[in-house]
Amino acid sequence: MRLALAAVLAVGIVTGASAQPGATRATVYAASSLTDALPTIAPRAYFSFAGSNTLAAQIRQGAPADVFAAANMKLPRDLYGDGFCSKPVVFTRNALVLIVPRANPAHIRTVFDLRRKGVKLVIAGKGVPVGDYTLQVLRKLKLTGVLENVVSRETDVREVLAKVALDEADAGFVYATDAKTASSKVRVISIPQRGRPNVEYGICVVRASHSKPAAQALVKRVLGPIGQKVLRRYGFLPRKP
Amino acid sequence: MRRTLLAALALAAAAVALAFLVLPVAAIFLRVPPGKLLHQLSSPVVTDALIVSAKTSAIAQALIIVFGTPLAYLVASRRFRGRALVVTLIELPLVLPPAVAGIGLLALFGRAGLLGTSIPFTQTAVVLAVAFVASPLYIRQAIAAFEAVDPDVVAAARTLGAGPGRTFFRVVLPLARGGLAAGEALAFARGLGEFGATIMFAGSLQGLTQTLPLAIYEEFALDFDTALAMGALLVVVSAALLVILKLVLTWQPSRQTSGFLFVRSS
Repeated sequence: MRLALAAVLAVGIVTGASAQPGATRATVYAASSLTDALPTIAPRAYFSFAGSNTLAAQIRQGAPADVFAAANMKLPRDLYGDGFCSKPVVFTRNALVLIVPRANPAHIRTVFDLRRKGVKLVIAGKGVPVGDYTLQVLRKLKLTGVLENVVSRETDVREVLAKVALDEADAGFVYATDAKTASSKVRVISIPQRGRPNVEYGICVVRASHSKPAAQALVKRVLGPIGQKVLRRYGFLPRKP
Repeated sequence: MRRTLLAALALAAAAVALAFLVLPVAAIFLRVPPGKLLHQLSSPVVTDALIVSAKTSAIAQALIIVFGTPLAYLVASRRFRGRALVVTLIELPLVLPPAVAGIGLLALFGRAGLLGTSIPFTQTAVVLAVAFVASPLYIRQAIAAFEAVDPDVVAAARTLGAGPGRTFFRVVLPLARGGLAAGEALAFARGLGEFGATIMFAGSLQGLTQTLPLAIYEEFALDFDTALAMGALLVVVSAALLVILKLVLTWQPSRQTSGFLFVRSS
């Protein structure tokens, strides 16, 4: 009898653990650069922050996301194309910057100083939006040679920020908004106009969502005046250039 | 009646537990056809990760054996104040979350750390991360193996004129070798799977610091099939290690070595 009770209890725990959060609270899979801004806009939602490409892969594997907020348009567009989410819209934009530790041990003043031998540069990995933007910048500025100085390719933008803020790396490419969250630890070096990528953030509602009304309401709030005001406060750029 | 019900429930629970442990591993092989799995293994990401993993594991395990064996022997053969504390400290990395290990290694070896070295982002960093998380498994097992060596046999070897060094290499080491090998197999498996400490302390760069687990994580978001292929590879290697471990443990080294030993040292 006791064993039967234990078995029932165990099954209860297992199913309970896999139960979805209440239908009225949307689960948002969001780019790690949105870590500070999005919870301010939607304090009641559940969040999972990571590199947008990791999140997209999880959604493809059936992760219980209701909303996907990515740091580019390509990933949500691909999900839309494969039937995993609604047609994405641009909800904000960002700027890419170069950051160095406050002490600037490698004496970097412009992006072109990255060419110097021995500079420890950290960038985001293949497929991570900020990593792709970084490669765009380097190509546009004919600086692909600096890839020789890359010591690590991180899984998301906050990891790049952490390695530079910890003073372990000499420089890294992150979004302006990320640099702002660690302004006491890093210095920002802007990228010349001709090298700047157009960093658009896309948002969509996941097809398999069980909380579509909550998801749609959240997207509306992000696109509306409140969401846009909060995003601007955190340093994001208006939806349209 | 009650007994059969209980037995049936126990059997059902056992079946659930076994299926739960086996199916995720089996799914890695079932999801992609074997031919495709093999084909994915030839991609440069995989071969680079394999080389990095093999090289760093080999060096880390060599270091673990060279430095861990004397530590284990001293702890096993001496009684001193604070011995329990030393054993606990040795075991601590085993129960620490790997991310904590990564933070700790950065705090010590990082450029801004206590020692202020330039180790982060190098292959040396991978080796240190692996050695840090894996060595307790070896050292723990080695302590147990050395403690299990019959002190009378050691004493006999010494009375028969063997010096401490000779006694260690000719008597103690052969007697303990089963336990040492078992510990080493466990440490190797743990080191091969190292993820958290490595990604924090050594970063991830293909061909330099990107080990198989790090490559699996990166490929998960890029090409799921390649990630699966690497997963399959690690399952095969780990299973092989486990089999070797079982074979080693079923040996009875004491009987094989003692005769040889006393003939030589008399």
